Amino acid sequence: MTDTFSLDGRAALVTGGSRGIGRAIVLALSKAGAEVTFSYRENAAAAQSTVQAAREAGRSVDAVASDAADESAVVRLVEGVRRERGHLDIVVAGAGIVGPVGWDMGTPDEWQRVVATNVEGPYALVRAAAPALAERGGCAILISSIAGLIAAPEEIVYSASKSALSALVRGLALTLAPDVRVNAIAPGWVETDMTKEVRADPRTERAIRRYIPLGRWGHPEDVAAAAVFLAGNGARFITGETLVVDGGNQIAWRIGLER
Amino acid sequence: MTLIIVADPRARTVFDVRGMVVLVTGGSRGIGRAIVRELSEAGAEVAVHYRKEADRARSLVTEAAARGSAARAFEADLRDPPAAGRLVSEVMAWRGRLDGLVTSAGVFRGDALPEIDRASWDAVMSVDLEGSFRTIQAAVPHLSLSPRASIVTVSSVLASHPAVGGSPYQAAKAGMEQMTRALALELAPKIRVNSVAPGFIRTDMNRDAHSDPEFSHKVARATPLGRWGEPEDVAPIVRYLLSSDASWVTGAVVAVDGGIPLR
Repeated sequence: MTDTFSLDGRAALVTGGSRGIGRAIVLALSKAGAEVTFSYRENAAAAQSTVQAAREAGRSVDAVASDAADESAVVRLVEGVRRERGHLDIVVAGAGIVGPVGWDMGTPDEWQRVVATNVEGPYALVRAAAPALAERGGCAILISSIAGLIAAPEEIVYSASKSALSALVRGLALTLAPDVRVNAIAPGWVETDMTKEVRADPRTERAIRRYIPLGRWGHPEDVAAAAVFLAGNGARFITGETLVVDGGNQIAWRIGLER
Repeated sequence: MTLIIVADPRARTVFDVRGMVVLVTGGSRGIGRAIVRELSEAGAEVAVHYRKEADRARSLVTEAAARGSAARAFEADLRDPPAAGRLVSEVMAWRGRLDGLVTSAGVFRGDALPEIDRASWDAVMSVDLEGSFRTIQAAVPHLSLSPRASIVTVSSVLASHPAVGGSPYQAAKAGMEQMTRALALELAPKIRVNSVAPGFIRTDMNRDAHSDPEFSHKVARATPLGRWGEPEDVAPIVRYLLSSDASWVTGAVVAVDGGIPLR
């Protein structure tokens, strides 16, 4: 079997790894051979469950409580992994929040929290990790959203923060080339805790599903597989790219002209 | 009797294409050739389409046979519209089913505007745009019977980032990308359709460019990753897109260009 996609011997750090897409990425990178450390903000039970899921697959992953929106915490986190593993090859900015929805602008604090988590956190992570990543031709993967690429009327603040990530990916990719590759994944509607409330209303759930050409919500594993690809040697000539994993949502017209 | 199930640490996401019957057009050379190798080494049964390089296509079949993989070479001139239908029929006669299609056959002409006559326009459009379209059209009825049907078109960075010379080529590739998105919608949820957009890749097609030291150096310098791409750099994403690990990916265009449009 070809080894193009193996992550054997690589050390990975995933922020927001206790739940949802981050959790699936932790498990998939680990299964692909990487030594994975992940951070979580406050849900220790969820973090423990991720560690347990890895153990059941015969793998060991480390969990660290750390706020991915706090630059100094991110710097400490990166230094910790580097000390522990001796090197750092892959970072994934998985931590993200939705923030105010609908017409609600939220309070200035809420805006700041979205920007800090979804934009400043990923930037701080890549910046802190860059010297270590450069040593061994490593890579960074940012988790964006199709809400950063197309209109998301219910989640304007979130959408704006994810659009900022697209600019971040391009800028970081160019700045850190050729030593470090920087890419993003833009998932569509995925079955996670983040979308639990939206899915709870059957009418909304169906309405969203109708706009997904492949006819189903995404699984966190769909996004995780893309992360395994981007992290591996198979993506050695890919940088500054945003890989859309959305069941075709982005290209579908919301008013259903295609039917 | 006790059955003990042990978690196999080697059981991984490996972008599994084992047993898939995949037709790769333009498979004897360049990017297509690397795609054939990648898929065949990963256990796919590959139909290698070629126009004139019979020996090179057959050498891939021989390689595959040495690994115990099924592969076969198929000749067709895709400049001739009915050829695509015949090609697909022959592949169906070989394996009886089709799970994947990669349209990699392409012609590049870097002509300036005044030089583009009917023949030079047709040379590009007939293969790059219509040839891909006709192949997809012929393959779809068969692909729609597969539970893991996937089409990958091979576009170019020039589809979205213009360069001087070769405007018909750039138009054809841009057309191919939009055709990819349109068909992704039309064929969902049964068949996924995605595209890869390579940057400057060292192949026979652009030998003039990369064998010119000055231009070659310019490209390497302009590419953030600091070098020309190799055909082998493009093949892995095609395998990912064909595999069921990408079963929620359609209508995507993935750039494999070393970041060149970032500059």
